[in-house]
Amino acid sequence: MHTLRLLSAFFKVNVQMALAYRADTVVNILLNLMWLGWELLSLNIIFNNTETLGGWGIGELIALLGVFRLVNTMMIALIWPNTEKFNASIRDGSMDYTILQPVNSMFLVTFSRITVWRIWDLVLAVVLMVVGINMSGDSITALQILTFILLATTGTLVIYSLWIVLIAMTFWFTKFDNNVTILQALLDAGRYPATVYPVWLRVIVTFIIPIAVATTIPLQALRGDLTLASTLLFASIGFISFGIASQIWKAGLKRYSGASS
Amino acid sequence: MLLIIKRLWQVNWAEQWQYRANLLMYLLYWLVSPIIYLAVWTSIANVKGDVNGFTANDFTTYYMVLLIADQFTSNIVIHTFGYKIQDGSLSGELIRPIHPLLTNGLVNNIAFKALTIMGLLPIWIILFFLYKPDFSGISWTGIALAIPAMILAFFTGYLLSAAITSLAFWTTRVYSIHEFYFALILLFSGQFVPLTLMPQIVQDIAQYLPFQLLIYYPVQLILGKLSSAQIVQGYVMSFIWLGIAWLFFTWVWRNGVKRYSAVGA
Amino acid sequence: MSPTINVQQLSKTYQVPEREGGFGAAVRSFFKRKYKDVKAVQQVDFKIEQGEIVGFLGPNGAGKTTTLKMLSGLLHPTGGKAEVLGFTPWELKPEYLRVMTLVMGQRNRLSWDIPAADSFLLNQAIYRIPDDEYKQTYKELDELLELEPLMKKPVRNLSLGERMKCEIAAGLLHRPKVLFLDEPTIGLDITGQARIREFLREYNKRTGATILLTSHYMADVTALCERIIIIHHGNLKYDGGINDLSRRIAPFKLIGVRLAEPNSHDLSKYGEPVQNEEDAEKQYIQVKAEDVTRVTSKLLADLPVHDITIADPPIEDVIEQAFNQ
Repeated sequence: MHTLRLLSAFFKVNVQMALAYRADTVVNILLNLMWLGWELLSLNIIFNNTETLGGWGIGELIALLGVFRLVNTMMIALIWPNTEKFNASIRDGSMDYTILQPVNSMFLVTFSRITVWRIWDLVLAVVLMVVGINMSGDSITALQILTFILLATTGTLVIYSLWIVLIAMTFWFTKFDNNVTILQALLDAGRYPATVYPVWLRVIVTFIIPIAVATTIPLQALRGDLTLASTLLFASIGFISFGIASQIWKAGLKRYSGASS
Repeated sequence: MLLIIKRLWQVNWAEQWQYRANLLMYLLYWLVSPIIYLAVWTSIANVKGDVNGFTANDFTTYYMVLLIADQFTSNIVIHTFGYKIQDGSLSGELIRPIHPLLTNGLVNNIAFKALTIMGLLPIWIILFFLYKPDFSGISWTGIALAIPAMILAFFTGYLLSAAITSLAFWTTRVYSIHEFYFALILLFSGQFVPLTLMPQIVQDIAQYLPFQLLIYYPVQLILGKLSSAQIVQGYVMSFIWLGIAWLFFTWVWRNGVKRYSAVGA
Repeated sequence: MSPTINVQQLSKTYQVPEREGGFGAAVRSFFKRKYKDVKAVQQVDFKIEQGEIVGFLGPNGAGKTTTLKMLSGLLHPTGGKAEVLGFTPWELKPEYLRVMTLVMGQRNRLSWDIPAADSFLLNQAIYRIPDDEYKQTYKELDELLELEPLMKKPVRNLSLGERMKCEIAAGLLHRPKVLFLDEPTIGLDITGQARIREFLREYNKRTGATILLTSHYMADVTALCERIIIIHHGNLKYDGGINDLSRRIAPFKLIGVRLAEPNSHDLSKYGEPVQNEEDAEKQYIQVKAEDVTRVTSKLLADLPVHDITIADPPIEDVIEQAFNQ
């Protein structure tokens, strides 16, 4: 309950900020449309030359683009602005104030900035998914939708956890303020089904920087390609990685306060 | 002047070395897209035998060479310099008797390049063994022709980026402008796919733009895929665009500094 | 009752990476970093009772900020103990964080892009302040600091002094019982400083809050604090009343002499000459407290003295002297 109150307080503050930078908001929406255009164009170029990619048709790739955009929205609406704030707060010392607030610092670091206008991107993502699934002609059961939602959530949790680990690294390595780039860079791998990649790359995007866990795998669930066992496995990876990330964050805070040395 | 450059080099090299963790991240960022595109296109070519005449090996060699050419010709001036104009720390550099962007900024970028290429090398070798591309089409002449082309392209690219960065004198939205510029590079440089696979209209426009000089032209030079006429045409374009970039940059810079000192940031 | 702040043998040693300049050193440091121990705070003891305002003094790098950071919970000490209101600060218990505040004059807690009012509301949510209590506290703070006209403007458009008022108010919305203030008046002009000072005194009187503050401006300290603690090189140098300081640290007096013909004689054989702008016609010398009577009578006997004054040296000079011991 209190968490919700806090979230709504953060949200209000961020709406204020978005209003203070109206022109930027418009520019960013235009840029976002530009990238959507580019993504569709690149799919078009690919499918001018082939009918399937890694066993998936263009409809499924458009749906995948939708899933990818869900994760990407989290990156852009939450992770990037909060990383920026986090890095700035390490540089100028206002991290001190964050730690001294009587609220879980991981929560504060995650939600103190929200790029509010990005929420329309979620709508766009859903539209892409619906259109893509329709184009592909796959028939979908309610159970498949539920597993999709579950795995998309846990997959996103995996990426979120990885982000926490990456920014926590700043506590050990100063001048590590480019920390999220690796996530964003590999995120691009989520635009295409992981089945396209050679084995070593598939291992990386599934287990090391598990972008595919949040993109390819939920979509596989939606298509009904996953067994119950692998569904449970991927879902539990989400919770486990969140647990590990919280521990690393705590260790990072200890390091910051000099408790570990 | 030589001494200045030597000292600048020492400072910037040491500085970049300090930021090695960041550097590794930048490098990864650069690596990922070509590797993904490589995977996508080779998987298609493997299924179909070839894509418009491109075999899987053609794609592999294209992207493997692209990784190197991109390293040589790209720059990070927007990241190392944009904020200086915005937060006013440029003032300190402006009162020094050297040009901030054409000396310090340039050396800084070259130091950065030197380090990323050092970092790229082992990764490139690993990729080489993973993909085992057949480089038999590559000739020393091609490489010899590509090196000056890449140097020209680096300076052209640097001046264009520096000019865009200098737009920060007028607008806080310089990063958005740069994002748009970046999209143009993606579209017209051949980074996504060899330009001949792009829609005809894109190809037609691309040959008049500087972006293909950054990637497509040097890669094709190295791969030995160009006729003598195309090689000459590429070099002519390189010089023309270097000149245009120079004029564009000096114009933006001069007016920007004028504006900066008038506002008194 | 146990003291509000109880510090025992508190120590903090930092490890600072060392690196020489040059390319070779850069490469070497890549593989192996050398560290050097810096003893920021060494076995410091003090107790502060509820309601006290204590000035915490020392030159730059003396360990003031490090101590404040340990007391607020940001830093773990490498040795010793500290208790504030019965809590060990660095456990960072939410119950503790809700009853203390740390205000650092050189840091921003308020978001620059939005009006302070919105940041205040965010703090209300973070500190779980009930609405009526929030309104009451805000009213009081507004009364003391005249916040209302500042609340609607984005923070970046406020002047330094206005921003500091908002920063302090933001730090006090949850009515902390203990205040750690690190340079709360830094960068402010004289009136701005005076206003913050007056506010702190009033806040202390109304709420009985305990305040530990550092400042570069002696006026802050002399106006607010009856007690001061001085540290230097991480060691406690002095802990006691501000008025006892000159007696304990610098048992000197300042003798001011106006001669018949101003400034006609060299007084250096009577005591150490001191610059003092107070009265251009007077010459000042500093002498040991026990020598005052002897030197005075000698001066009166030797020279055509028109006027003679005996005073304590200014507190600034005394503290500086304490640092240098």
